[in-house]
Amino acid sequence: MKEIPNYKKIEENLKPGKFSLEGFLGNDNRSLFDIISDDKALILQLNIDIKEIITRLKYFRDKGFDFDGTFIIVDEKWKVSVISHRGKTKCPFEDKGFFAKTEINLIYLPKNIEINYSDLSIHLIEEHGFFGGKGSLYRLEPEILKIALEL
Amino acid sequence: MNNFVSEVKMEYFFLLKTIIIISSFTTLLTIIIIFIDSTIGNYGIKKININDKKIIEVEGGKPLLTTLISNKIFIPSACGGKGSCGLCKVKVLVPDKKQILPTEAPWLSKEEIDNGYRLSCQLKVKEDINIFIPEEFFSIKKFETEVIEIIDLTYDIKQLTLKILNNEKIEFKAGQFIQLEVPPYELTEQSVYRAYSISSDPKFNDKIELMIRYVKNGICTTYIHKYLKKGDKLFINGPYGEFYLRDTNSEIIFIAGGSGMAPIKSIIHHMINNNIQRKATFVFGARTIKDLFLLDFYLDIEKKLPNLKFISVLSEPKVEDNWNGEVGLVTDVVKKVVNQTENLEAYLCGSPGMIDACVKLLNSLGLPNEKIFYDKFA
Repeated sequence: MKEIPNYKKIEENLKPGKFSLEGFLGNDNRSLFDIISDDKALILQLNIDIKEIITRLKYFRDKGFDFDGTFIIVDEKWKVSVISHRGKTKCPFEDKGFFAKTEINLIYLPKNIEINYSDLSIHLIEEHGFFGGKGSLYRLEPEILKIALEL
Repeated sequence: MNNFVSEVKMEYFFLLKTIIIISSFTTLLTIIIIFIDSTIGNYGIKKININDKKIIEVEGGKPLLTTLISNKIFIPSACGGKGSCGLCKVKVLVPDKKQILPTEAPWLSKEEIDNGYRLSCQLKVKEDINIFIPEEFFSIKKFETEVIEIIDLTYDIKQLTLKILNNEKIEFKAGQFIQLEVPPYELTEQSVYRAYSISSDPKFNDKIELMIRYVKNGICTTYIHKYLKKGDKLFINGPYGEFYLRDTNSEIIFIAGGSGMAPIKSIIHHMINNNIQRKATFVFGARTIKDLFLLDFYLDIEKKLPNLKFISVLSEPKVEDNWNGEVGLVTDVVKKVVNQTENLEAYLCGSPGMIDACVKLLNSLGLPNEKIFYDKFA
């Protein structure tokens, strides 16, 4: 049985200065529950699958990881750079696992769309359906992902 | 009328009775909670037997790592007890449970679990325990320091020089790291700890130098790059780590990128101090010319250590850089310069991506993992 998340505690962790300097909620005034629920509804409406999103995000991350921040062209349509820093980071939802500190910059060349994410963002979407609060540094808009990842 | 008054009185007494019952119940609950907290939640004084040589008495219920720190025994930790670095392993001899928490699982091998190893930040001292820790941990100390110099090595790497205060000295092996405590500042509520390699000459034990690269959205590096100033006081503890030059006659390949230059620079100072003239190549990777630094220092080093060759390589040089050196990834240059692996040791420091790529390459060239050294906190 999946454990019911303690949203109050997690919301505290997502605030600035706890697990990261700017936090994960941006200027979003909605509750964490609402942010996750709204994005879940949006994903359904866009007719995309979280598994597909994750597969694509991991694909570009893995392509760029060994190139140490240098931009590479992937499949002639994407430009990706992965900067990895020493150390690991914990999930603000306080579940198991630690994540490499990465900064992944992906540009979809046909439409010049740029997205920024990290190993932790991949986990937050995959395990918690959390795409970030509106206005946060690592918010990944599902509509943009649909186009940039060609889903 | 009389009936109405008596009804009101009855209702009043009923309400009063209810309030009294609820208040009594609440008081009873509070007493039970306080009792539970002071008995079950209070583990009392516990004994930690260390290496059968020293017994300390501590307040029970707290993590072993912080309990030991408060007794001035420092276990290596790069994350400050968050369970996210896996460095603070200790061997627990008694009780002989060999059980771990799910939070420890990513960091402990089956062999380590079978041998009683635990992450000291996750293990709470709830009973008397016997532990084993390596003797060298007893020389790890906490130092108060003062920032005496901050230099911009590049646009995103700063060099900090910290003077050790209170007439104390830090004895470290070239290549080791310390843990820096960043105090709460306007953007954070609590201290955070991060591990940084020492870049300075180990013959100076009254100060250390660190190279710190800015990490976007990073709590610690934002403090260092945007808030820290000359004259500020900082606490460090250390030294830690097994990344140091092995005492052999093997040829050496040093590979680094960005602030990963730090421990290798310290090792090179050590080579000069001890006139170690082993054949060595240092491949330093950067993206553009503005990511390169200390080039004059290495020109001078090549004179002092004629068997050492410093090669910098740019992965994305710009036209205006007029760069006529090596172009590509560090791995491209390593492939060119490594012509034998029989008598070779590799010392790596940099991003996990770079280390992964270099280890794969060196393995494919025939160099076994036992001869490839890098900081485990990468």
